[in-house]
Amino acid sequence: MTSHYRTRRLAIAALTAVIVVGLAACSTTVPNTTLEPKTEFGRAIDALWDTLLFWGTIVFILVEAFLIYVVIRFRRREGQPAPRHVHGNTTLEIAWTLAPAVILAIIAVPTVKTIFTTQANAPRGSLTVEVIGHQWWWEFRYPEHNVVTANELYLPVGRTVNFALKTQDVLHSFWIPQLGGKRDLITNRTNYLWFTPESTSVWNGVCVEYCGTSHANMRFKTFVVPPEQFDAWANHQRGGPVFMPAPTPTAPTDTGAGAAAATQPAAQASAPAAQPQTSGSLPTFPADQLPLYAASYNPVPRNLTIGNVTGDAARGAQIYRTAPCIACHVVQGVSAGIVGPTLTHFGSRTSIGAGLFPNDPRHLALWIKNSPAMKPGSKMPPFGKSPTMPAGYDDQQLADLAAYLLSLK
Amino acid sequence: MATTVAAPPRYAVPHTKYERGLWSWLATVDHKKIGQLYLYTAIAFFLIGGLEALIIREQLKGPNGQLVSAEMYNQLFTMHGTTMIFLVIMPMGAAFFNYLIPLQIGARDVAFPRLNAFSYWVFLLGALFMNAGWIVGAAPDGGWFAYAPLTTQQFSPGLNMDFWVIGLQILGLSSLAAGFNFITTIINLRAPGMHFMRMPIFTWMSFVTQFLLVLAFPIITVAVTFLMLDRFFGTNFYTITAGADPLLWQHLFWLFGHPEVYILILPAFGLVSEVLPVFSRKPLFGYPVMVYSGILIGFLGFGVWAHHMFAVGMGPIADSVFGVTTMLIAIPTGVKIFNWLATMHGGSLRFTTPMLFAIGLIALFTIGGISGIMHSSPPADLQQTDTYFIVAHFHYVLFGGSMMGIFAGTYFFYPKITGRLMDERLGKIHFWLTFVGMNLAFFPMHFAGLNGMPRRIYQYQANQGWDIENLVSTWGARILGVATLVFIWNFVKSRRSGAVAGRDPWGAATIEWTLPSPPPEYNYAVIPTITSRYPLWDAKSPELTADVPHTPEGEKRTDVSVGGKETHASFKGPSDTHMASEVAHPSAKELGIAMPTPTIKPLLASIGLTVMFLGLILKHSVNYQSLWLPVLLAGVAFFVVSLYAWLLSPLEPEHH
Repeated sequence: MTSHYRTRRLAIAALTAVIVVGLAACSTTVPNTTLEPKTEFGRAIDALWDTLLFWGTIVFILVEAFLIYVVIRFRRREGQPAPRHVHGNTTLEIAWTLAPAVILAIIAVPTVKTIFTTQANAPRGSLTVEVIGHQWWWEFRYPEHNVVTANELYLPVGRTVNFALKTQDVLHSFWIPQLGGKRDLITNRTNYLWFTPESTSVWNGVCVEYCGTSHANMRFKTFVVPPEQFDAWANHQRGGPVFMPAPTPTAPTDTGAGAAAATQPAAQASAPAAQPQTSGSLPTFPADQLPLYAASYNPVPRNLTIGNVTGDAARGAQIYRTAPCIACHVVQGVSAGIVGPTLTHFGSRTSIGAGLFPNDPRHLALWIKNSPAMKPGSKMPPFGKSPTMPAGYDDQQLADLAAYLLSLK
Repeated sequence: MATTVAAPPRYAVPHTKYERGLWSWLATVDHKKIGQLYLYTAIAFFLIGGLEALIIREQLKGPNGQLVSAEMYNQLFTMHGTTMIFLVIMPMGAAFFNYLIPLQIGARDVAFPRLNAFSYWVFLLGALFMNAGWIVGAAPDGGWFAYAPLTTQQFSPGLNMDFWVIGLQILGLSSLAAGFNFITTIINLRAPGMHFMRMPIFTWMSFVTQFLLVLAFPIITVAVTFLMLDRFFGTNFYTITAGADPLLWQHLFWLFGHPEVYILILPAFGLVSEVLPVFSRKPLFGYPVMVYSGILIGFLGFGVWAHHMFAVGMGPIADSVFGVTTMLIAIPTGVKIFNWLATMHGGSLRFTTPMLFAIGLIALFTIGGISGIMHSSPPADLQQTDTYFIVAHFHYVLFGGSMMGIFAGTYFFYPKITGRLMDERLGKIHFWLTFVGMNLAFFPMHFAGLNGMPRRIYQYQANQGWDIENLVSTWGARILGVATLVFIWNFVKSRRSGAVAGRDPWGAATIEWTLPSPPPEYNYAVIPTITSRYPLWDAKSPELTADVPHTPEGEKRTDVSVGGKETHASFKGPSDTHMASEVAHPSAKELGIAMPTPTIKPLLASIGLTVMFLGLILKHSVNYQSLWLPVLLAGVAFFVVSLYAWLLSPLEPEHH
């Protein structure tokens, strides 16, 4: 007898645990949730999800409740008569074949409708954005505005955007959870995905198709901004870099989001839907106002360090002109490499390494010093001086390069 | 518990090297020994795959985990998936097919006993090959799905994926050989009167599974052969610079991969369908519907593969078709759940450990089934695929379904295999730890996924809303780890100290329970004649089966048994003479039953095969590259010679 009670107590404890976990999960801030969509595409999916969740919950409750009832009601008791030997019942079996079929029909009809509405061609007048996947970063091209950028996607609120998805190498998948479903980037093909962002904010985007070593580190940020700001941004991005040098010490105190503080980023804003705004004269999103969930902070390997030096942008510009950087990176008017992300307006981006680190002098200098140590598998070789590479740049040169790149607004 | 307390069976003292010691295992062609080999091997890999899972969970327990590197993590999740699917659940299925099918259909062995041994050895060597990457520090890292072009030489230049490609190639051979073997066995070696609609339901589900195996594995073999040729010989099946369409791999992989899901779950369905009636004291509700739904699942399983590809942009028509076919497959699956519930309803339930695991399967698989419907809808799937929601789903299906069924089957058939029962108290601890740990580990993943957490990431930042879910999951995994240790302890210790089982410790209904535990080498001294679905209940508790349709006795079927010799005797229940004497049953020789001669040749042939593939992988090695062709050819030669030696030696002793 006691074993029955013990069994039941354990079962209740297990159920309670599941419910507590569920509630805890709901009460957490969920900046990447799929359940509060911000586009018509996302809402179409969410409507289907509600149907699925409703019927799923009903079936779940019915089956599990019946199971619990049977387990309690029909457990063997002393002196119980032999069970009735039912071996089947055609009517019942037809009933529980048809009932799920009806539920599935209820799900299938809106499913097929939604497939055809969301996969139709994008409406006329949509903003086309070419998304090109690379191991492990994102290239965004705006043919209409003649703009190319990387890892930071700007979209005007209220205008339908039609993504043309391509990949340079392996398969990737383009996903901004808050803005709707994902779509894969397939080699030698172009896929399309369109939606209309309905509110201004910053959203996280990720690669969700396993694409090799740094699949986890292939992130991007989406800034949905008012149309005027988008136009200003596009105009700014179309031109060459605006050279805005500033003294840039590589001291870790400069940015709270350094190695030691990786778990406690300095970003103050915690509101999940911070309003993008211009910083000074630039139409780009100010890095220090990123909401916590969109700030980039990852620990730097302990053995990767740099002295406390202040970089000089002018010296950095000199170094850059003959540096190996130019083979892969473009800085409009300076270098024309196309393998790596564009650096033309690098200083106005908020992060480096496809959303891994804050774009500050220290992280940037470390990145140039040894990018593969900061991002596993990084295709950019280490350029810092080291026993194996005595010809590499010393800390001062790295800081100068960083200062130069950061001045490219 | 109706434990028959009887003296453990004593056999004639083994008198040749074939009957005891290491040699008896290496040279065995006995389906029961091969079944045990599969079981022990699968348990060993369950520990390895579980360890990989624990490392993964420790890495993800909080943001920015530092336990392992990205490279190591990618190897861990690839090998966790590959191990659990190909080296744990499939061989667990194979263990039960081997051990049970001949016993359940009243045969003395499988149709091709030496091919059966070959299947096992090829499986073992393939499994070791797959894991050999760990030794050289280059375990497979392209995911168990190995999507091209990531897995082509251009993007995965290391040996990592070579181990996967070749390992899977070897494992596929094993599954194919076994599949044909069991199909032949079930069709040809059923005892007289064992009509298809009298077959135990486990044998039925196994039968369906074998067809899935022989139809699905050629597809992956082709896909992997293309990749192997690309990697080793520079062909262009998946070479993107030569204009290849990488979706070729995905279609081929999932055309295999989805039936594979049913290969993993149907044997578990079969096992719980054996367990539930016994501990409910009721015949299986709707036996014919259970059979037909299993067949239907098998058929539909081949028509839903592209639901793994809703995000690749197949277009609205393909998405709609595959969405609807996927929903359809829920119907036969649902029918199984309802029929199990109806089996229990009105019964007299005994909550033994196997029964708890069987009930656990119903409770947990239902959750996996419901979340499966949630991503059968392609638009909804676009928000779910490649997130932790999917991870939650298939762990409910494969752990909550397949593994729970396998645990139920293990506790249920352990006494038949070893002669002793597993400890019930430890078994219940194992069950409850598993049940709680499983839900803690996998339920929060639903939330993590819906909150945008991608799969296959070795690190995530804080403040993404995923911290609590991951921490709870890790605790669940730790509990599962403890549960597994309890299981292993129980499994090992019960072998020596478990309660003696006797022939039929559970009051079961099917003929394998008429045999001594463990059964003699030849299984049935006299091949029984079967007159109903539940022969033991007919004999012992006729009131249980009064309602089940029977056909009149006296139908004879003359088929060959493995022994070649045949004696038919009507089965009259456990009091029948050939089962009465618990002690010292005579050897096959004394009974004049010709059993296949033990032989090492299948093992030699499988070694030759493996050496051949080893030669291939040397082609990509740094130090031994020049040896690749000689080693490969030596392997081929060894394989061919062993095969000829095998084929030219007779199955049974020349004279007896």
